[in-house]
Amino acid sequence: MKRLIIIGGSVAIVLIVILAIVFFVRPYVFHGTVIQSPDPAYDFTLEGTSGPVSLSDFRGKVVVLYFGYTFCPDVCPATMADLARTMEDLGKRAGDVQVIMVSVDPGRDTPETVEKYVQTFDPSFIGLTGTEAQIAETASMYGIYYFKHEGTAATGYLIDHTASMMVINQDGRLKLVLSFGTPPADIAADLKHMIN
Amino acid sequence: MRKALVVLLLTLTACASQGLMVTDLWARPSPQMATNAAFYMVIENGTDQAEELMSANSSACGVTELHEMYDMGEGVMGMRPVEGIEIPAGETVTLQPGGLHVMCINRLEDFTAGQIIPLTLSFKNAGTLEYDVTVREN
Repeated sequence: MKRLIIIGGSVAIVLIVILAIVFFVRPYVFHGTVIQSPDPAYDFTLEGTSGPVSLSDFRGKVVVLYFGYTFCPDVCPATMADLARTMEDLGKRAGDVQVIMVSVDPGRDTPETVEKYVQTFDPSFIGLTGTEAQIAETASMYGIYYFKHEGTAATGYLIDHTASMMVINQDGRLKLVLSFGTPPADIAADLKHMIN
Repeated sequence: MRKALVVLLLTLTACASQGLMVTDLWARPSPQMATNAAFYMVIENGTDQAEELMSANSSACGVTELHEMYDMGEGVMGMRPVEGIEIPAGETVTLQPGGLHVMCINRLEDFTAGQIIPLTLSFKNAGTLEYDVTVREN
């Protein structure tokens, strides 16, 4: 009987240890698509309100890169509002994150327009634009699709665009792609994991 | 008291006979630089007839149109105008971010949280109805 208790107890302890290892060593599961790239993300240089801004200016920070346009009434403000809530969730760690919106509508968006637009959501956000060629190059390097098409007489042209957020780690590598509509709490959890 | 009850009953009767309910009308505070905005709402068609939202109008917008965001696959979102928004008999259609919305083009005023914006909706059966849209974060 005593032997049985000792064996039973040992088995239970071993099981608990295994479960604990599995639980604690289990890799973090991101809320988006994880990218394993050996190369640094494309180091764009685009126009901000106080001159050229490059991705490499933010080395050491996690960068959330979003491509949109200020004329967009729905998906872009929804994403910016979600990212503003993410920054609130991050609290003190928000300083380790830089949100950048690149305009896919250089025809209508000036650096001032994009900057003022994004800063309505969070004063730390940066808005950038550039020439048609610069935007096209940057978008293609990040696998961002955008296409201008006719709207109505009132809207003028509209732009279909990839609404995903690209997350670049502190070393300048594209690490994560988050879909439109990812809850701010999930984005914050992913960013916190990358910061740590 | 009796008067109040009569008014309440009349109101209830009016609601029941109409059978169309538009609730939770909201819009996001507009970024200062944004030309456009969107109105969201829940439309419940309690009648036994298909209903259609045909158009919208607001004094806060230069032009008001019905639009739809749609998923084009691989993370690409497109936006297109729609002729009307159908609400089948007994069903509810929700206008929400990433889907259907009433687009406020050439916004004429800043939308600040807590503000109320008038919106007129024209339905095929129910006719033209007036609503208040509340500006809030989400």
